[in-house]
Amino acid sequence: MGLDRLKLAVLLLAVVLLAGCDNGGDPPERLLYGQAAQEFTQVPGSVIALGRVLDGTTLGGRFTSCRPAEAGIKNDAVVVERTGVFGESLTFADAGNKTLYGCDGGTDAAGERKPPWCGSPAGRLVRGKLLDPRLDVLCRDPKGRPLAYAWVEPAAGVRWIGVDQGTYTEIYEVLAGLPVRIASARGVQPSRARATFDVTQYDSHGKELVKGKLEAQVAG
Amino acid sequence: MKAFLVAFGVGVVLAGATGAQAYHRFWANCNYDAPTFMTTMTRDAAQDYANAARYEGYQWGGGCWNYDDSDSYPYDAPGDPSAHGEGGDCSGLTFKTWRESTDDWRDGRYYWRALRNVHGPYTAGDFKNGLGAPNHTVAKSTAGVMDAFASPTHIGMIFARSLYGGDQIVEAKCEACGTNIFYRTYRSDPSYSGVARWGWTG
Repeated sequence: MGLDRLKLAVLLLAVVLLAGCDNGGDPPERLLYGQAAQEFTQVPGSVIALGRVLDGTTLGGRFTSCRPAEAGIKNDAVVVERTGVFGESLTFADAGNKTLYGCDGGTDAAGERKPPWCGSPAGRLVRGKLLDPRLDVLCRDPKGRPLAYAWVEPAAGVRWIGVDQGTYTEIYEVLAGLPVRIASARGVQPSRARATFDVTQYDSHGKELVKGKLEAQVAG
Repeated sequence: MKAFLVAFGVGVVLAGATGAQAYHRFWANCNYDAPTFMTTMTRDAAQDYANAARYEGYQWGGGCWNYDDSDSYPYDAPGDPSAHGEGGDCSGLTFKTWRESTDDWRDGRYYWRALRNVHGPYTAGDFKNGLGAPNHTVAKSTAGVMDAFASPTHIGMIFARSLYGGDQIVEAKCEACGTNIFYRTYRSDPSYSGVARWGWTG
C-alpha cells in the first residue's frame, strides 16, 4: 500500500513536470494571424516578424483607420507593416519627413478603440531621427497582457533587430529606412508608464553589432 | 589651534558633501506616494493646480515639481527623460491636473501632490484620440476652461478664452520655454483637436 502511494506520487509528479514543460521553451510556431513562423537561422530559437513595405492604398482600411486625419498624409504614403507573434504595427512619415506616425495593434483596456489598432504613436523627427522611442503601454495582447511598443533607431549597418521575448527572440527587419516599431510583453510597467526591452541589432549576415537594454518612458 | 584645524577640516569635508548634492538630479527630491482619491474635481481647482506649476520648468517624460517658482535644472537636454529634471511635460501636466489614474480603465479622481513623480500612461496623441476611460474628445468650438487642445505631439489646457479667437493656454511647452500660460491659436489650428476630462463636479 505504501509503495502504491509512492508510485502514485511519482506518477503525479511526472505528470506535473511534463505539463509544466509543455512547449513553453520552444519558439512559437505561428504569428498573430496564424502565419507560419520562420526562424532567423543565425539566431537559434528566433522568430521573424513579418515585415512589408506597402503603400497606403494597398493597405486600404487598415491604413485609413490608422492615419491621422489632419496630418495631410496621402493614400500613396510608404507604410511599413509588421506582424509579430502577439503584436502588429504600421509605421509611416508625413510628406515633409518631420513627424513619424504609427499604429499599434491590440485591444485597449477601456475598450474604446476599434480593432486592430489601440494606439497611435507620433514623434517629431529631428534630422530624420526620433528624440525618444515613443513608448506606448496602453495596448493589451489577445491574452489580456499589457504590451509595450517602441521605435528603435537602427545603428549604422544594422539590417535586423532582435527583441528578447523570454523563450525566444523576435526578429524585425529594418525596412524603408524608418525606425523599427518593436513590441514586447516583458518588462512592461504600465503603472509607472515605463518598459524595458532587451534589444540586439544585427547586420545582414546576422552578426551582432549592438546589444543592450532600451529603457523607455511615456513622454510628451 | 589644533582643535580649530580639526574643526576646519571637518567643515571643509562637510562643505564638499553639500556641494556634491548639486550633482543629484531633481527626481531625488520626488516621491512615489499613493494619490488621494477625491470625490470632487472643479475647474477652478484645476486652474489653481496648473497655475501653481508655472515657472517650475519642463522635463520630457516628467511629472514632479516643487513650488519655488523656478526651474531647478533649466538647461537639460531636450527630449531626454533620463535628465530627471524639474517639471512635467505637456501630457504629464495634463494628467496630474486632470486627476487621472495610472490605470487607463479607471475614471475616478486622484489628487497627485506636486512632488509625486508621475507622468501617466498617455502621450499627447493618446489624449488627442480621447484614449483612457476619463478622457474624451469634444468639438473645439465648445471646449471650455480646463478642457484642452491636443495635437499628435502636444497638449495644452485652456486657462481662459481670449478675444480675437485665441486662448490663454496653460501648458508645459518645452525645455527652453518651461511651463507657463501662453496665448495660443490651437482652437483654429487643424492639427489640434478638442479633448476633455469626464467628471467635473463644478
